[in-house]
Amino acid sequence: MATDHRARAAALRAKAGGGTGETEAALRQAILARAAGGPAVAAPCEALVADVADASWRVTDAEVAAVRTAAGSDKAAFEVVMTAAIGAALLRFDRAMEAADAPR
Amino acid sequence: MRLAEIDRGDSFGHRALIGFISMVSGMRLPDAARVAFYHREFLSGALGEWTHETMRGESPWSISERELMAAMVATWNECPFCIGAHRAIAIKGMPRELADTVLADYRAAPIPAGLKATLGFLETMTRTPENLTPADARAALEAGVTREALDDAIAVATLFAIITRYANALAFAIPTDAEFDKAATMLLKRGYR
Repeated sequence: MATDHRARAAALRAKAGGGTGETEAALRQAILARAAGGPAVAAPCEALVADVADASWRVTDAEVAAVRTAAGSDKAAFEVVMTAAIGAALLRFDRAMEAADAPR
Repeated sequence: MRLAEIDRGDSFGHRALIGFISMVSGMRLPDAARVAFYHREFLSGALGEWTHETMRGESPWSISERELMAAMVATWNECPFCIGAHRAIAIKGMPRELADTVLADYRAAPIPAGLKATLGFLETMTRTPENLTPADARAALEAGVTREALDDAIAVATLFAIITRYANALAFAIPTDAEFDKAATMLLKRGYR
């Protein structure tokens, strides 16, 4: 049977923006939105989230280290990176499905 | 690897597993696998399960074609780890020269029109999603790609939009070609769960 990609995407969005994390769910929701073109988040997350979303090859040791220090643990910094990546990806998923859904 | 706890494992069980797999395989366990073992309660399988179904489940695309799409997304996102890892899996099921021709310039590569049009869609989706229009989807559908196949390709590009970003952000160590080949055999056998 074909995979229900919309359901999988919705489940991933729900986990990244809610679920169980060391960071606050509100911060992760703001990061999901930021990575999809929404308003900036607070420093030091902003620089890392913007680079992960727009040009991940530009991320630096210092950007990750600053978020690691501010967030207080590797797991919290990991959540910031993953959530930014997921936000940028789900923007693309939504755009792609919208383009595919348009009447022919 | 920019976060030390991912490198060493976040529990006794995961540290033991990382050590065991590295010993049995005769190579350092790639960072992608270390991330898969890390902080599992956070996404609790929502990423791994979707990746496994998309890359190994039933689909109009062959496994090699899906892995080649992943390597293409990695090329557009300048992710050397993912280019190496997914090219190595793709060439288990297609000629190496063909895969490399596609990765260098898919528009000029001798591949079916449907795959070429789908890669065109995925390129815009990956690089400039704001420019994606229904005409991009129509081009793929008119080249004979079914809606199910287009959805499966969109899922591949979505998942690798995520994977390439964290591989770059966390600075994954780049294995040698021989290590990529060995890891490809494991990923073909075991999948992404």
